[in-house]
Amino acid sequence: MLCGATMASMQKRLQKELLALQRDPPPGMKVDEKSIQASLTQWIVDMEGASGTLYEGERFQLLFKFSSRYPFDSPEVVFIGDNIPVHPHVYSNGHICLSILTEDWSPALSVQSVCLSIVSMLSSCKDKKRPPDNALYVRTCDKNPKKTKWWYHDDNC
Amino acid sequence: MAQQERIQQEIAFSTPLVSNKVNISFLNKEYTDDDNVYQRKIQDLGSKYGHVRTTRRDGNCFYRAFGYSQLEALMDNPKELQRFKAVAAKSKNDLVALGFPEFTIEDFHSTFMDLIEMVERQISEAELLAAFNEQNTSDYVVVYLRLLTSGYLQKESAFFEHFVEGGRTVKEFCSQEVEPMAKESDHIHIIALAQALNISIRVEYMDRGDCGGVNQHDFPEGSSPGVFLLYRPGHYDILYKL
Repeated sequence: MLCGATMASMQKRLQKELLALQRDPPPGMKVDEKSIQASLTQWIVDMEGASGTLYEGERFQLLFKFSSRYPFDSPEVVFIGDNIPVHPHVYSNGHICLSILTEDWSPALSVQSVCLSIVSMLSSCKDKKRPPDNALYVRTCDKNPKKTKWWYHDDNC
Repeated sequence: MAQQERIQQEIAFSTPLVSNKVNISFLNKEYTDDDNVYQRKIQDLGSKYGHVRTTRRDGNCFYRAFGYSQLEALMDNPKELQRFKAVAAKSKNDLVALGFPEFTIEDFHSTFMDLIEMVERQISEAELLAAFNEQNTSDYVVVYLRLLTSGYLQKESAFFEHFVEGGRTVKEFCSQEVEPMAKESDHIHIIALAQALNISIRVEYMDRGDCGGVNQHDFPEGSSPGVFLLYRPGHYDILYKL
């Protein structure tokens, strides 16, 4: 069921977020304007690995999907494309284990704060490796990472 | 997860976010006749309160119950309404100063101010109730009250860090237990919100403890409350004095 008022407030909010991201993008990040549809429900953000980190020189792509209940529902965020960062909290299918994407999401957070958390997650990594349960997870998980019951250990690598 | 979502949806469609005012005897029916502990406590409650409004059990009940009850109380107190409005108007800048991003919080703040202004224009109780039962409006108010709570906890973190469990910082506690929707509220949240808005809340605690009557607690202690809430484990409803 899609209520008109909900849809309107979701689009108004996303419109504002898009402007903020274009005007003041987190370092190394850029929203791919071609990827954005009129409904604003799906965006791709290009990111570069920060210099001085294990990901320096690498390029990644993040896909954001928003439901009509955004910002009450968290966005669905995955890495896509050929280069999925090798990181203990990133599965080889692009799913990310990050608490603000599910349990700790708050409507006061934004695309920008998600981007910053992902940059900081990558930047603090000291050992490039996949999560220990990667093989099993990518074989058995739902396509939507929000359907996974994540078990958050820590925010570090 | 899917099952949990389904159950939550069922709850959502079966009960209003904030109900009509009903006689306090409504509570009797929620317990069996031979449930002596609760029946006795409801009797005690009935000696002080005449009516109750229930709220949806969605983890946001404290904020929703408080928000509705506070605005309703302001309907016939124009002087307090002006004071409250001034505190609320200023609160957004305080949150921005604490580092909350203005472009996300301003929508929640403006919905909250819209409701206060509706009360100022002397809308009816039915209109206020309708606003609190419109999911979007109601949730925007809940978010703003959560942010005020978080902001106060962070501003006074030197004090509150002693009450945060699990070896977390106040900031971590806020981002895990205060700001996300559906996270339930405890004493620490109530103290913070009452102080953030400079108002007073009385909570009547009703649980299975075999101590006769209900226990009341005023936030902050020693204040004279304008909002009365009923707490049963995991849930808050609104009470009306006799």
